[in-house]
Amino acid sequence: MSLDTQLFLLAWGTLVGLDLVSVPQMMIARPLVAGPIAGAILGDVPIGLELGVLFELFQLDILPMGATRYPEYGPATVAAVSVAHAAGNVAAGLGLGALVGLITAMVGGLTLHAIRVLNARAVHRATAALEAGDASVLARLHVTAIGRDAARAAFVTAVGLGLASVTREYLGGTLPPRGVTFLNVAAVGAALAAGTAGTLRLVGRGPGFRWFAAGVISGVVVAWLR
Amino acid sequence: MAAVSPTTRSRPPLGRCLLRLFTVQGSWNYERMQGVGMGVAEEPLLRDLRGANGGTTYHAALARGAHFFNAHPYLCGLAVGATARAEHDGVPGEQVERLRAALCGPLGSLGDRLVWAGWLPITSGLALIGVAFGLGFPAILGFVIVYNVGHVALRWWALRAGWAYGARVAMALREPVLQRATALSGPAMAFVVGVALPVVVRYLSGGFVGWSRGLLAVAAAGGVALLWWQRARLTGLRFGLALLAVAALAGGLWR
Repeated sequence: MSLDTQLFLLAWGTLVGLDLVSVPQMMIARPLVAGPIAGAILGDVPIGLELGVLFELFQLDILPMGATRYPEYGPATVAAVSVAHAAGNVAAGLGLGALVGLITAMVGGLTLHAIRVLNARAVHRATAALEAGDASVLARLHVTAIGRDAARAAFVTAVGLGLASVTREYLGGTLPPRGVTFLNVAAVGAALAAGTAGTLRLVGRGPGFRWFAAGVISGVVVAWLR
Repeated sequence: MAAVSPTTRSRPPLGRCLLRLFTVQGSWNYERMQGVGMGVAEEPLLRDLRGANGGTTYHAALARGAHFFNAHPYLCGLAVGATARAEHDGVPGEQVERLRAALCGPLGSLGDRLVWAGWLPITSGLALIGVAFGLGFPAILGFVIVYNVGHVALRWWALRAGWAYGARVAMALREPVLQRATALSGPAMAFVVGVALPVVVRYLSGGFVGWSRGLLAVAAAGGVALLWWQRARLTGLRFGLALLAVAALAGGLWR
């Protein structure tokens, strides 16, 4: 993979990571968006779409409420698409992509916590100026924090792409066909389980569950008719 | 406290305030949560106060604006508009603080139900169906556009309503459209994601044949049961990593 392509992926992953919490939350951080664009950068949209769908199911397991800690699936999807593309096709790269993506998502979650701690320290240091209503200190704190989050997002993407590179180097082509199938089954099975369990948690046991059941039945019919 | 009537400014800089609201979580932290971002967003609406009391009113209002706040990011504008208007109306500082504190819970809960558990999974579910049906990029583009039409409209409504109602902002939350949207979003989300899941199963399982398809069904069904049973401790991420580790081990041993 050329350096240009890697840099484009890094830039895209950074934008995606920044969108998750800081600016502007327009949902380019959703795997369903991050994946296909990463695929387009690599000239392989279908693989981006497939991994985007896979990680979107993992994303359904998350409710980003208040101070909750959660994994970051946007840059993770970018890294996953990079691995899967290098494997040559979806069948060969889906499981490996999921493995790299999930590890990257975990790293992303840890960095989100770290950045919140760093922001809290910066705010604590500026308490006197903030209590005096100093507009310039307020703006500087805010802009610096956004810059810090951009650096964090770039770091997470770089870690993901680094992991992708190591995986390509040492695991690509070495797994036996049965091992590849096992990894693919695990990736898709876990994604479906996470998406379904996350939705069930959201829906609850009340009237929403009846709507969910009606939806599943309709979906089965639609899928069967196609 | 000297009051500056809102009528002294015929056109409050709501547009600039809205732009800043897109960054409201940029400095999210465990001490003030969205507080700093709220202060930054509110600042353009407070500039009219700079002339009052030699700037004391402005600085005091700005300091209050940057205090602790936590709500749904898309609805922060309601609190920004309401508190800025209250400051202009000369409402005492302690009352403005109480207003902010009182808005955290309702705005958080409303936004979570309306957006995180409603509009977002609905539009994402529709996009998943679109991709599974082979629409590709147009489905993704449709998701980004449709989702953000709702997103920006909600932010704009919140800011305008907050500025219009001021300290009586609770009335804005009782608007019938909002009540109806909240009531409908839950069932609509449940139905759309319900449709999406089997369609996506078919899309993702297309490459599996024979025994691997059976194994996939067992992994997915077992995973749902395990995640539901251990929902307080087990997350989708941990389950995914554990299953991939087992799969890698099995694949290595059983060549």
